[in-house]
Amino acid sequence: MLGKTWVILKFFFFLLLAVALAPEIVVCATAANESEAASALADADAELTLAYLAVLKAEEAGANVTRLLVRLNESGVLLARARMAYSEAEFEETINLAISTVSIGVEVQAEAVRLKTAAVSESVQRVMLTATASIFGIALIAFGSFWIWSQLKKRYEESTIPKSNSQDAFTDER
Amino acid sequence: MNVEESRAWFIFGSLALILLVATPTLGLFVRLPDVSDKFSEFWLLGPGRKAGNYPFNIVVNEIYQVYACVENHLGYSAYYRVLVKFRNQSQPLPVGSNSTRSPLPAIYEFNIFVRDGGVAEKLLRFEIIDVICSDTIMTVNKMSINEATPTINGSATWNAEGNGFFYQFFFELWLYNATVQRHDYNNRFVGFWVNITA
Repeated sequence: MLGKTWVILKFFFFLLLAVALAPEIVVCATAANESEAASALADADAELTLAYLAVLKAEEAGANVTRLLVRLNESGVLLARARMAYSEAEFEETINLAISTVSIGVEVQAEAVRLKTAAVSESVQRVMLTATASIFGIALIAFGSFWIWSQLKKRYEESTIPKSNSQDAFTDER
Repeated sequence: MNVEESRAWFIFGSLALILLVATPTLGLFVRLPDVSDKFSEFWLLGPGRKAGNYPFNIVVNEIYQVYACVENHLGYSAYYRVLVKFRNQSQPLPVGSNSTRSPLPAIYEFNIFVRDGGVAEKLLRFEIIDVICSDTIMTVNKMSINEATPTINGSATWNAEGNGFFYQFFFELWLYNATVQRHDYNNRFVGFWVNITA
């Protein structure tokens, strides 16, 4: 009998404890959720910015970034929705949207780095090709001009020497 | 023309040809300064994508729409953020003379990435959902803008001259500044007035 009473007392004790602590537990869970959402939002914002900066670098290197801008816009829409969800205290939604934003941001960064590398490589090839063609062209013009000039000069001298000889002869006869 | 003159002309012609051939290579290394203006354009269009028929007489629980458009002439792909704000006749607008944004909080925002020379357009559908109205004061409590339903708590007093409760939607353009790594107010805003009827 005493044992049964003890079990019932224990049950009520834990029930009371649970009722007393329930609001605290709920508040803690909400707070954690809010801080997680804020952190996810900050990460998403940072990731989107990094993706944009990577796209800018790729663009500076001469890459065509039109497709990446489309992806960034998609990501930007998600980030804006995440911000609005956060301001309306929809923290689960915020976290989900922030994760999607980060995912696109990471993808865009990787693609931007790939495009930048390709653009730099293409640019170096283009510079080398243009410079080689120019140097070859300059050399060709220089040597060609020299050769043409020497040929012209030679012909001119050949055509003028007999005249001077005949002039000399005429002078001698006088 | 004697030989010396001919030689001078021949050298001049050769050098001109050399310069012509070297031009593509010189173009790779010599950059001329870009003197064109760098700026962003920002405007609103009405529901028919024209600069007119902007929503004015607004009825609660009706959907209205406008288009916000941004054009980039900055010389690089830009990252814009547009903040949508809502005010009554006495609340502050941005100040153009010192590039100061309005201190009012944004009720909605969106990000746009625009390539150099490109135009981006964003459709905004809005609906006033919840207002409390007396004879002299109206309070807009909630509205929806696209997918968001921000809480507003914006009050306006009866305007006897205009015969209505007047509010303004205005849009601030912010531009990402890579040097300081944040969005700065770009000193451009557009807006339209509405007269809300409960």
